[in-house]
Amino acid sequence: MIEEFIARHYHVAFIVVLAIGLYMLIESGNLVKKVIGLNIFQMSVFLFFTTAAYVEGGGPALVGPESVPGEHSNPLPHVLILTAIVVGVSLTSLALALVVRVYREYGTLDEDRLEEVMAGEP
Amino acid sequence: MTLALELALIAFVVVTAVFAALLRDVLGSIAVFAAYSLGLAIIWVLLQAPDVALTEAAVGAGVMTFLFLLTIAKTTRPDTEKPLKQVDLKAFVVVAAVALLMLTTVPAMPEVGDPDAPPVSAEHPTGEQTPYSYYIENTYVQAGIENAVAGVLVVYRGFDTFGEAVVVFAAAVGVMVVLKREVLK
Repeated sequence: MIEEFIARHYHVAFIVVLAIGLYMLIESGNLVKKVIGLNIFQMSVFLFFTTAAYVEGGGPALVGPESVPGEHSNPLPHVLILTAIVVGVSLTSLALALVVRVYREYGTLDEDRLEEVMAGEP
Repeated sequence: MTLALELALIAFVVVTAVFAALLRDVLGSIAVFAAYSLGLAIIWVLLQAPDVALTEAAVGAGVMTFLFLLTIAKTTRPDTEKPLKQVDLKAFVVVAAVALLMLTTVPAMPEVGDPDAPPVSAEHPTGEQTPYSYYIENTYVQAGIENAVAGVLVVYRGFDTFGEAVVVFAAAVGVMVVLKREVLK
């Protein structure tokens, strides 16, 4: 039982880190911390993808005319994750711009305080 | 030896994630998040994904930290008396339930680095060639690119990369609209 989990340690790490990111999303009252939680959540999925691409004893995906499968990690998940990292940064910057905007309009970043301020408006 | 190093790195990543969640000070949270990113980048070097590791170290730990710091410089940083937050029990129970449910699927996954795992095998069970084997055998021959990741990114999945550029452009327009609405009117 324990050996099964040790042999899949990256999968266990992926689930634990995903849970921590989810916890931050649910629990944090501060909007900036929520965005940090979203990023932790997202990067745990990247860990899952790169683990799937890894093959024991294989090198990086640097190929030549004689390359055979099994000696290199799978380049496709790496490509998807490169795209996902860049898209993630774009979306984070948009989320943070919205956070700055919310602060300018309401003067707070705390979720509970924000609800009070919004309810107090006519 | 490698396993010990991998487990140490995993412990580092998990501990930094926990501190990012529990620190009250947002600035501290951001610093720990940068450390978390760097830990993941080192794990990706071990997983033979150097391109992902470089991008993560430059973009995840570098640019992302800069964006977060810029945000708290423009907004506010809550006052803190105690450094750490209490664990919120309700949220913890929900998250633990999700995590336990997912952990039950772990024994069904292929072992880390298993050469017979579906993503890294040369043939489908039906005998057809997998994309993995196609990319490894043909990227250099067809595209003349030694780095298969770059080859797949710009040659085989060029439209994907184009879509990514569109998303980046849309996000840039979105940031400008959100922050400078007064100017654009």
